[in-house]
Amino acid sequence: MSVRTGTARYFDGLTSARRDVTLELAAHALVIRQADGIILGEWSYIRLKHLSAPDHIFRIALRKNAAPARLEITDMDLAHEIDLLAPDIDRTGASARRDRRRVIGWACFAAVMMVLSAAYGVPLLADRLAPLVPRGFEQRIGVAANAQLRTMLDKGPADRPFDCGEGPIEQAGQAAFERLVRQLETAANVRIPLEVSVVRRAEANAFALPGGFIYVFQGLIDKAENADELAAVIAHEIGHVAHRDGMRALLQGAGLSFLFGMMLGDFVGGGAVVLAGRAILQSAYSRRVEHAADRFGVEVMLALGADARALGRFLERISGDTPGGFSVLLDHPTAQERAAAINAMAPPQSRGVTLLDPAEWAALKRICAAYRT
Amino acid sequence: MTSFDAGSLAAAPGRIDRQTGNVRFLGQDRPFWRILVRGAVLLMVTLGIYRFWLITDTRRFLWANTEIDGDSLEYSGTAMEILLGFLVAIALLVPLYIAFFVGALDLGTAGLTTGLALVALALIGQYAVWRARGYRLTRTVLRGLHFHQTGSGLHYAICVLFWWAMIVMTLGLAYPFAQASLERFKLAHTHYGDLAGRFEGSGFRLLLRGLPLWFVVMAPTFIAFSALLSIDWDRVGEIVGRGGTSDDILGRIAAGAPEFYEVIGLFVLAFGFAVSAAIVLFPAFQTIVMRWWVSGLRFAGVGVTSRLRMSDVYAAYLRFLGYLLLFALAMIVMAFITFAAIGLFFGTSAESKAAEIFTILGMVGLYVVSALGLSTIYQATAKLWVWRLTAQSSVLSGVAALDHVRAAGAPDSPVGEGLADALNVGGGV
Repeated sequence: MSVRTGTARYFDGLTSARRDVTLELAAHALVIRQADGIILGEWSYIRLKHLSAPDHIFRIALRKNAAPARLEITDMDLAHEIDLLAPDIDRTGASARRDRRRVIGWACFAAVMMVLSAAYGVPLLADRLAPLVPRGFEQRIGVAANAQLRTMLDKGPADRPFDCGEGPIEQAGQAAFERLVRQLETAANVRIPLEVSVVRRAEANAFALPGGFIYVFQGLIDKAENADELAAVIAHEIGHVAHRDGMRALLQGAGLSFLFGMMLGDFVGGGAVVLAGRAILQSAYSRRVEHAADRFGVEVMLALGADARALGRFLERISGDTPGGFSVLLDHPTAQERAAAINAMAPPQSRGVTLLDPAEWAALKRICAAYRT
Repeated sequence: MTSFDAGSLAAAPGRIDRQTGNVRFLGQDRPFWRILVRGAVLLMVTLGIYRFWLITDTRRFLWANTEIDGDSLEYSGTAMEILLGFLVAIALLVPLYIAFFVGALDLGTAGLTTGLALVALALIGQYAVWRARGYRLTRTVLRGLHFHQTGSGLHYAICVLFWWAMIVMTLGLAYPFAQASLERFKLAHTHYGDLAGRFEGSGFRLLLRGLPLWFVVMAPTFIAFSALLSIDWDRVGEIVGRGGTSDDILGRIAAGAPEFYEVIGLFVLAFGFAVSAAIVLFPAFQTIVMRWWVSGLRFAGVGVTSRLRMSDVYAAYLRFLGYLLLFALAMIVMAFITFAAIGLFFGTSAESKAAEIFTILGMVGLYVVSALGLSTIYQATAKLWVWRLTAQSSVLSGVAALDHVRAAGAPDSPVGEGLADALNVGGGV
C-alpha cells in the first residue's frame, strides 16, 4: 500500500526559517521530512488543529505544542486527505458552526439570567442586605450625602441661612414644628435619631436621606392647608428612614451598576440598553418603596388618631394633572394611585385629633418668614 | 520623552536596502461583512456577551489576510481566553471599586477624592491598554514565531496621562510629539522573536505635515470662542434674571445688549465651519498620521515605507458615506413601521403599561440598531479599506533579516485584554 505524500511549507516555531518539506500521511502520524530525508517531526493526527489562514492556505499546528510550529499546505487535495485523517479538523466548518451555536445558546442564557437577576435578584438582595448594614456606616453615608445635598440645594444669597426657623420671627414656628415632629417620632418609634429640617426651597417637596436626615421644603408648608397634611408627609418620610430605603436604594443601584455597567454593555449602542434597563428597573423598585412608606405613614397617623387620609388628599391637590411622559419611568406612583391605596388602608375620619392648635399652625406657616424667597 | 529627534532623520536614508518586500491584503469585503453583521445581531441578542467571539473572529480575518513578505499573519488568541481574562479582571476590579467607595466615605466626599479616583482609573485604564497590547502581540504569529512586549505598563500609563495633559494645554499642538514619544516607547518594547522594534518617526515632521489642518480647524474655533468673550455676560445674565416670557427676555436682550445676536451668529457660523472642516479633513488627517506611523516602524534592519495615497482614503470614506445614507433611509422606514405598528396595536391615546413598554423598547431597539449598524458599516467600509490600503501601499526594506529570527518571549495573560474591556477602554482591533 502506497503512502500518500505531498509538499508543504514548515515553520519549526524556534526560528523564522521557511522550510519546504515533504509530508507523508503515514498510518500513525503525519511525517514531516526535510529535502535531504531527515525527519523534522511526526505529528499525531489526533493532536492536529486547523488554524485561521487566507483561503488558499491550509494551516495546521500540533495541539499542546510548546513552540508555535506551523505547517502550511496549498495543495487542497492533500489538505482534504489530512482533514479525513484528523478527527478535530473539519474544513466544511460544520463542527465549528456547532460549537458556535452552543456558545450563542449559552450567551443568550447568560443574558437572560442577568436580566432576571437585575429585575428580581438585585432588589431582593438589597432588601436582605440593607438591615445588615451597620448603623454607623449608614450614618456616615448620610452625613456625606447631607453635606453634598446642602451645597447643591442652597442657591440663596450667602448671608441668608438655608434652614428656616432660626430668625427671631421664625422661632415660634420652629417650636411648633418641633412639637409636631416629636409627636410623629414617638408614634413611629424609629430607633434612628431623626434630624428634620425645613429649608428655603420654593418646590412643594420633602425627602429623606440615609441616617435619619429629613428635609421639608418651604413650598410644601406653604401649600399645606392644615397640620395633618404636613404631618402625613413627614410620617411618610419617617417611613423611608424606618425602612432604611436610602441604604436599600444605594445597594440596589450598586448592584445594577455592577451587572449592567461591568458585565454587559461594552459594545456600540450598549450604553442605551444599560440606561433604559436601569431606569425602568430602578423606577419600578422606587415605586414599590413609596407604597411601603405610604403604608408606614398611614399607620403612624392612625396611631396618633390623626387624619390618615390627609396624605392622599394633599398629594392629589399638589400634583395637579397626571405628569406627562412614561409612567414606567416615574419613580413615584401617581398621586391618584397613592390616594386610592391610602384610602383603602385608612377609614375616613370626620374629626381627627388636632396635632397642633390653630395658633401653633399659624406660627408654623411663618417658619420661613424672616427672608423673602 | 522629549521629541526633538532630528538626528534620526539624518540617519534613516543612509541604510542600505538589502532586499525589498511587499505587504499585501488578501481579504474580500463579503466575508468580513458576514462576520460583522452576524456579530452585530448576536451582540444585540446576547446583550454584548458575544463581543469576545466577534472581536476574535474580526482579528482572525484581518490577521490571516495580511501577508508580510509572502507569509500571512495569524491571530492565535481564542474567545474563551479573553472571556476568562475578563472574568478575572472583574474579580480584581470589584474590590477596587468598593475600596474607592469606602475611601470616599472615610475621607468625606470632597472633590479631591473623586478627582484622585478618576486619575487612578485613567491610570489603570491605560495600564490595561498596555497589557491588552501585549496580549495581542503575543497572539500574533508570523512564520511560526510570535511577537512580544516588554516594559512597564505603569510607566506607559503615566506617559499617556502626561501627554494628554500636554495636548489639552497646547490646544492639540503637542499631539505629534505625544504620538512620536508614545510610539517610540511602544516600539522600543515590541519584539518579533529576538528582533527588537523601534520607532523612527519624528514628531516635528508630523507637526509640519499636520499644521495646515490644525489651522483650518483651530482658527475658526478660536474666533468663535473669542467672540463669545466679547459679550457683556453680566449684563445678559442680569436681563435674563429679571424673568418674564422668553419673548420678553429676547426683546430686552436686543435692546440692552445689541451686540448679542451678531456675536451669537458669528459664533454659530465660525464654530459650524470648524466642525465641518474637522469632519471633511478627517480622512486627510488619518492618511498623514498613518503614512507617518508606518514609515517610522523598524524591526532591527527591517524598515517600512508607506505610499498611502490620500485620494484612496477619501474614496474609502465616500463609500462609507454612501452606505451610511442608504442605512439611514432604511432606519427611517423601520422607525415609521415600528411606531405605526405600536400605534395600531395599542391605539394612540391608550395609557396602558404595555404600550409604554413597547414604545420604550422600540426606541431603545432603534437606537441600538442604528448605533450597531453605523459601527458595522464603518468597520466593513472605511476601516477595512484603510487597513487594506495601508497594507498594500507599504514597502518593506531589509527583509533578509526576517529569515534568521529566533523565538523569544513568553505569551502574555489575557487579563490585560479583559481589564481593558471591563473599563470600557478596549480598543477593538
